[in-house]
Amino acid sequence: MIDRRLFKIPGIMPRIVMIAFLTLIQAVMIVIQARALAIAVVQLWRLKPLTTIVTPTLVFAVSFLARHLLTVAQNRAFYPFVEKTSGKMRERLMTKLFRLGPSLVERTGTGNMVTMALEGIDKVQTYLMLIVIKIMDMGITPWVILLYIAFMQWKEAVFLLLIYPVIILFMIILGLAAKSKADRQYAGYQRLSNNFVDTLRGLGTLKQLGLSKRYAGNVYSVSEDYRKETMATLRIAMTSTFALDFFTTLSVAVVAVFLGFDLLAGKIMLLPALTILTLAPDYFLPVRNFANDYHATLNGKNALKAVLDVLETPETNNRKVLKQLTWHADSEIKFNDVAFTYEDVKTPTLTHISFAIHGFQKVGIIGASGSGKSTLINLIGGFLTPDQTGHISLNGQQLPHLSQEVWQRNSLYIPQSPYLFHATLRENVSFYKPNADEATVKAACDKAGLTDWIAELPQGLATMIGEGSRGVSGGQAQRIALARAFLDDSRKILLFDEPTAHLDIETEAALKQDMLPLMANRLVFFATHRLHWINQMDYVLVMDHGRLVEQGTPTELASHDGPYTKLRAEMGGLHALN
Amino acid sequence: MHSIRQTFAHDTWVMPYLRKYKWLLMLVLFLGTMTFLSAAALMFNSGYLISEAARRPDSIIYIYVPVVLARAFGIARPVFRYSERLTSHNWVLRIVSDFRKKLYQAVEVKASAIKQTHQTGDILSILANDIDHIENLYLRTVFPIVIGWLLYLFIIIGIGVFSWPTALLMALLLGVIVVVMPLLSVAVNGAREFKQKQIQSQFYTNLTDEVLGLTDWVISGRYADFMALQKKPIKRIATLRRQDHYFQWWRGFAVQGCFLLAVVTLLVWSGTAFTATKGMANWVAAFALALFPIIEPFLEISQGASEWPVYRQSIERVNALSNDQPKQTPQSTLTGPVTEINVDHVTFSYPDDDRLILKNVSLKIKQGEKIALLGPSGAGKSTLLKLLLGDQTPTKGTVTINGTPINELQQQRAQLFGVLDQQPYLFNTTVMNNVRLGNLQATDEQVKTAIEAVELKPLIDSLPAGYETEVQESGTRFSGGERQRLSLARILLQDAPIIILDEPTVSLDPITERHLLDTVFKVLHDKTIIWVTHHLAGVDHVDQVRFLENGVFDLQGTPQALYRDEPRFRKLYALDAGRND
Ligand SMILES: Nc1ncnc2c1ncn2[C@@H]1O[C@H](COP(=O)(O)OP(=O)(O)OP(=O)(O)O)[C@@H](O)[C@H]1O
Ligand SMILES: Nc1ncnc2c1ncn2[C@@H]1O[C@H](COP(=O)(O)OP(=O)(O)OP(=O)(O)O)[C@@H](O)[C@H]1O
Ligand SMILES: [Mg+2]
Ligand SMILES: [Mg+2]
Repeated sequence: MIDRRLFKIPGIMPRIVMIAFLTLIQAVMIVIQARALAIAVVQLWRLKPLTTIVTPTLVFAVSFLARHLLTVAQNRAFYPFVEKTSGKMRERLMTKLFRLGPSLVERTGTGNMVTMALEGIDKVQTYLMLIVIKIMDMGITPWVILLYIAFMQWKEAVFLLLIYPVIILFMIILGLAAKSKADRQYAGYQRLSNNFVDTLRGLGTLKQLGLSKRYAGNVYSVSEDYRKETMATLRIAMTSTFALDFFTTLSVAVVAVFLGFDLLAGKIMLLPALTILTLAPDYFLPVRNFANDYHATLNGKNALKAVLDVLETPETNNRKVLKQLTWHADSEIKFNDVAFTYEDVKTPTLTHISFAIHGFQKVGIIGASGSGKSTLINLIGGFLTPDQTGHISLNGQQLPHLSQEVWQRNSLYIPQSPYLFHATLRENVSFYKPNADEATVKAACDKAGLTDWIAELPQGLATMIGEGSRGVSGGQAQRIALARAFLDDSRKILLFDEPTAHLDIETEAALKQDMLPLMANRLVFFATHRLHWINQMDYVLVMDHGRLVEQGTPTELASHDGPYTKLRAEMGGLHALN
Repeated sequence: MHSIRQTFAHDTWVMPYLRKYKWLLMLVLFLGTMTFLSAAALMFNSGYLISEAARRPDSIIYIYVPVVLARAFGIARPVFRYSERLTSHNWVLRIVSDFRKKLYQAVEVKASAIKQTHQTGDILSILANDIDHIENLYLRTVFPIVIGWLLYLFIIIGIGVFSWPTALLMALLLGVIVVVMPLLSVAVNGAREFKQKQIQSQFYTNLTDEVLGLTDWVISGRYADFMALQKKPIKRIATLRRQDHYFQWWRGFAVQGCFLLAVVTLLVWSGTAFTATKGMANWVAAFALALFPIIEPFLEISQGASEWPVYRQSIERVNALSNDQPKQTPQSTLTGPVTEINVDHVTFSYPDDDRLILKNVSLKIKQGEKIALLGPSGAGKSTLLKLLLGDQTPTKGTVTINGTPINELQQQRAQLFGVLDQQPYLFNTTVMNNVRLGNLQATDEQVKTAIEAVELKPLIDSLPAGYETEVQESGTRFSGGERQRLSLARILLQDAPIIILDEPTVSLDPITERHLLDTVFKVLHDKTIIWVTHHLAGVDHVDQVRFLENGVFDLQGTPQALYRDEPRFRKLYALDAGRND
């Protein structure tokens, strides 16, 4: 019912005490209200003139209003806290998202992550608002009423007391059943949004495969599964509400009949009987309210759990081991027998990686597809952390990993498939340096070979690109990513993962001329399949099946018979036209 | 009223379902009304019961009927309520599944252009927000309001039987609750809820964009900017929601106030009307208590009404999406085998863009011919493919297969074309399922053969889950080249006469690339292939090479002839092999 972590939310306890106090007053008001109304009715029943009911009616009215005013007061007292808590939670979720980066999204899925941050937190807010007030209501109001009834007529009070545990028991049994269902339902909800995002992103591919029409069936069946899960939860929630409703309504009826017989026998007067009758529904009201919102509560609880689970995911720690860094000609980075294993994979993807690179070297990383180039680049960029700490050192300082804030602030990474934001071309290019001025942006675009194209765009740099706007060609996307790198000359470490894969030979050759000066006076890691780049590299790492099988300067490598020469020889045979 | 009519004028999302399920709807309303009537009857009856009993009649017979009735109403109320909730939820959720499918279909029709007009987050927000909203339209607005009004009618008529003036007074007092308050809510709170919803869906779109580009955010280190982007909408929504809640609480209080007046009125009236004899005075308690259970549905009316603007926007949004469908051209079917593809004097520029991408381009491709399409990045190679597929229509000129225009063959396109586009997508399912998408009829063996052909067998075999390995969203479980090859495996399974490959080997090392090209051209030897490439490796496989530049073909011929006669081609060739500099 309640996630224990709820009580750990800072500042919640004093609020709970305050709510409890307000609820207590409210319960007293409920009793007064019932009593006053009963007095008025009894006066009329005794055929007394209307004037005799003025006072009781006034008391009734005042206590009635006070009761509802107290509801407002409870909400008002608690809401700022709920608002602050859920707002903070959302911010923390965003921070977490930023800190954990793509690895978090890989685990949770894009659609799920987004819905969690928006709908999920909303559900948490509703949950927080409901749970505390309702539980306090359930814990206080019935007992005050019962006490008062017992004071008048112990028999009915005993009956009401006896029925209460039965109701609670019912709720617990059904609640447990509903809970497991609700967990499934929440998982279904996450699946649904992920499935939809997945489908949308791949819609073009589906269409090419001629399956897009048929996929509607898939969307429908995922949705139907979700409906069935929801219905299963709802049915249980409703059945529990029904059982509760049934018991409580019937109890009120039974009390009425009891009272009727007692009156008949002269054991009780009308006034207490009527008071008890008006109070009976109020005795059950808190439980009923709780059951009515039970489903929303379960949903909220699951959302809270999902959010807290993300918030409690451990972040890479020790991100500040490296205090400061300016990359010089004599700086050095050293890998010593580094290994890396992806989560959920048994065998390590990279093993025994050792190298030492210093100064402004340009390091080419080559190897067959799947040999581990991107993984290595990700390790160097600090997006992945090695299996064991202490195998990497920077200028002689041992580091647990390269996910160092200072290191990342000095490096720049162009991934294998760059993402274009839904923003103007200018914003996309100046993404790493949002306050760059017009001239610098233009110069960067120029170096990336985009000028001609931009000149043809009616709105130039202000053209909107990315999802939901103008399409760009594959090569243009890659050049925009390159322009980002050209723009920021303060970052001295460049990580390129096949930056020219989508470019044609001529464009690439032209771009190469511009990229070479960019790479001068920088430490560059350059994963590529295009061997002509190797001639420009100072050092080469040859990867094969997750191992570093050879390394050295291009001339060294070319001078003896190893994997590198074999690779080149094989490739020479590829161009068979002459 | 006017806005309501306007919203439903071209509606295909709400009205049709109301009409289709009108009996079920009636049932829900009936059950809902009965629930509260039984509850009121229970209290009414109980009040009478104990008043009568307090007179100490001589025999139990006098209270026998109320005793039985008390039990009957006590059972009826929960039973009605249970059936009402079960029916309404089941119905609404079923409709929602239809909605999701309908939404997908609306989006699907525009598949090739959707990336240019909608962001993933947009559609996600329609899914998560709008569809849920329409669900709530029924559960929170339509049902409670109609049930509330029915109850209102019953009460007024019930009192009217005894006294018209009192009925009129009650009609006024309760009218404030069921008519004035809802209208007031729409006026005051409607705009707020609407605004809140708008910010929220904008937030959806932006956040999705940010999550998709998260890698870049992380590297940029622009933590403060990232957070600033989120904080603004969060804060605005919080403010609006706070005001919204405050309004709701005070409105709830006001409703209770009106209700109090109604109860007191009833009390005073029964005090004057039923105090002639002792027997009649027994009714006083009955009237005084009967009204209390009715408050619950009355409270819901105003809330339901104030949410209407939100629902309205959702209805309009989904309708806008599905009504604005592209025009359908009449379709014809190709009976014989494909003999010739003809691109005839095609000129093309993208809509809303006057730059000519293709200028008077012609190209004839015969059955079984293999063509390599080269050209600088951004020259229009992918665009030409889109024209061939009929995803875009030429501004001038025609694209035909066996003389039939391509846009009339869209229904058949999956039988005609096998396409590997520049950014193939892997779905979040197993390797086996992903590859099988190429041909749903393929056996496991065929799928495995295709995977073997793209040289992934050793890798997949080494994975613990083998072919059942989940590739994760957009295939992140695999390396760039591996993803590319899985997509290529799909194409090998596809049984279509024309194969279009847009840079199929872009993320591959030269050796794997060469092997793959050999395999592709061997496996697909009897098919027509149009192959966009940036590399000249493997170009000897094709019959014709075309260079697209500045909107025209400026070099063309067999690879051998081009190598012999064209110095530029020779230079490129050498460059590509990494031989010079
Ligand atoms: N998230 C992941 N989980 C498990 N294994 C992974 C994951 N990402 C990649 N791998 C595996 O790790 C190996 C190395 O992948 P990596 O992306 O480093 O290759 P690469 O050399 O960059 O290849 P390519 O040239 O094709 O891009 C591959 O076999 C791949 O299947
Ligand atoms: N939807 C669109 N609206 C407007 N212009 C577009 C659209 N899609 C592409 N373009 C522009 O049309 C031109 C040709 O694009 P296309 O994708 O055909 O190039 P390409 O030859 O395939 O290039 P690459 O080799 O880089 O993939 C580019 O300048 C591109 O910016
Ligand atoms: Mg890679
Ligand atoms: Mg292209």
